[in-house]
Amino acid sequence: MSELSEERREAGQEGVGSPTGTALGMKIQDLSAFYGSFKAVTDVSVDIRANKVTALIGPSGCGKSTFIRCLNRMHEVIPGARAEGRVLLGEQDIYTRGADPVVIRRQVGMVFQKPNPFSKSVYENVAWGARINGYKGDMDALVERSLKQAALWDEVKDRLKESGYELSGGQQQRLCIARTLAVEPEVILMDEPASALDPVSTQKIEDTMEDLKRNYTVVIVTHNMQQAARISDYTGFFYIQNMGDPGRLWEFDETEKMFSNPDRKETEDYVTGRFG
Amino acid sequence: MPRETFQQELDDLVTVVLDLGSEVESSLENMVSAMENRDAPLAHNELGVDVRYKARGAEIESECMILQARQAPVARDLRLLYTVHSVTNHLVRSGTLSEHICKAIVESASCERDEDLEATLMEMARTVRNIFEEGLEIFKNRDIERARDLQAKDDKVDLLYSEAMNLIANPSEGGGGGEPEWRMRAALIVHYLERIADHGVDVGGSTVFLVTGERIDDAMRQYLQRNVDQDGI
Repeated sequence: MSELSEERREAGQEGVGSPTGTALGMKIQDLSAFYGSFKAVTDVSVDIRANKVTALIGPSGCGKSTFIRCLNRMHEVIPGARAEGRVLLGEQDIYTRGADPVVIRRQVGMVFQKPNPFSKSVYENVAWGARINGYKGDMDALVERSLKQAALWDEVKDRLKESGYELSGGQQQRLCIARTLAVEPEVILMDEPASALDPVSTQKIEDTMEDLKRNYTVVIVTHNMQQAARISDYTGFFYIQNMGDPGRLWEFDETEKMFSNPDRKETEDYVTGRFG
Repeated sequence: MPRETFQQELDDLVTVVLDLGSEVESSLENMVSAMENRDAPLAHNELGVDVRYKARGAEIESECMILQARQAPVARDLRLLYTVHSVTNHLVRSGTLSEHICKAIVESASCERDEDLEATLMEMARTVRNIFEEGLEIFKNRDIERARDLQAKDDKVDLLYSEAMNLIANPSEGGGGGEPEWRMRAALIVHYLERIADHGVDVGGSTVFLVTGERIDDAMRQYLQRNVDQDGI
């Protein structure tokens, strides 16, 4: 168990704690991902810096989503899918024998492309995860804090008993972010969280990112390169050199560098829209 | 190639900048010729170009802003727009300074001159014109090796600047140093020429940034370090 989790357990907040400010980073070493015999991603080694936003960009089908699903052991839930290599959350190898995928997924939360609230009230959507994890603290305070962190509180504070389905698409996505935050993860993975949203909702999600990284490590997959340039500290470019090859992490650097003067031609061609 | 329209807009923008550069080159050519031949009417013809260059510069700047807003350029496209903006500024400023020099030529046309100082000024003017032309060629051809050499050529301008200022401050005894008004105008011309040379060098430096993403100072440092390493010093 990580040092941070240890501290939380001692504080009686196992699995759910208050934001401490410092999150854990991730270290990925020689990670490859398979669907049956098909290798979708190969040999990815990269450090995901703590308390930073890392954006993953690249053409469709190059393995970005597959890669982040390996970071919280979601990849293996697909029949025949597996991953090889090491993924460290802090010092803990999440693929080591005995590592509990459920605990890992609580520490490394995920927000999906399409908002998927539960068919419960706004309040219960946020409280549910913490409750089943045995949270003994002030649930009202936890719900309020999570909704505030997701920049949704002001819009729903008088609608907490309404169904999550009653909210707009953008609000539903922020509700899903609040739900993820309520179990106090170290890392939040976001797979195109704003691709189905209008510009105003997208802007709210992006504004939320800046606040989130104070307490969490964020990894976001996006097809919107301006979004990656706006919100991320680091950017990774995934690329498939030849049809049928597995995806590779082609270049990884600070976002400023990636969008002003990347080292590799393929990266520059992609970010300038000169592919094809 | 995807983004063909955007690429065409960038190409067109560069063409407009190079056209502006050619016009400023002509102004510099006329300025040098007016100095060499003491041709006040030719210098007089140059008065007023400044307004035209500034208007062209404003148009290019506006186009850069529109392209940035519409196309959200990054990487080499962003560097190109930044460089176009920077180069245009250097061209317009050079055109303005050339006009200032022509005005000084016109206003000092009837003055008695110091021949040594005049010879130094003319050598400086020719050198500056060459540096400016070379800077523009470097931008046109993306020839960054020459940009590094251009910095060295600017050293010659600095030497001529010192020589001219020395002649202005210490006119030869017993007459022959030219009228005070001429020396005053000459001081202005020397200063303007030195500035044009700097603009020419900066056009080359901007090209280094365009091609490599490095600032010219950093690139020069690496370049010199490479020579040190190769020489084993």
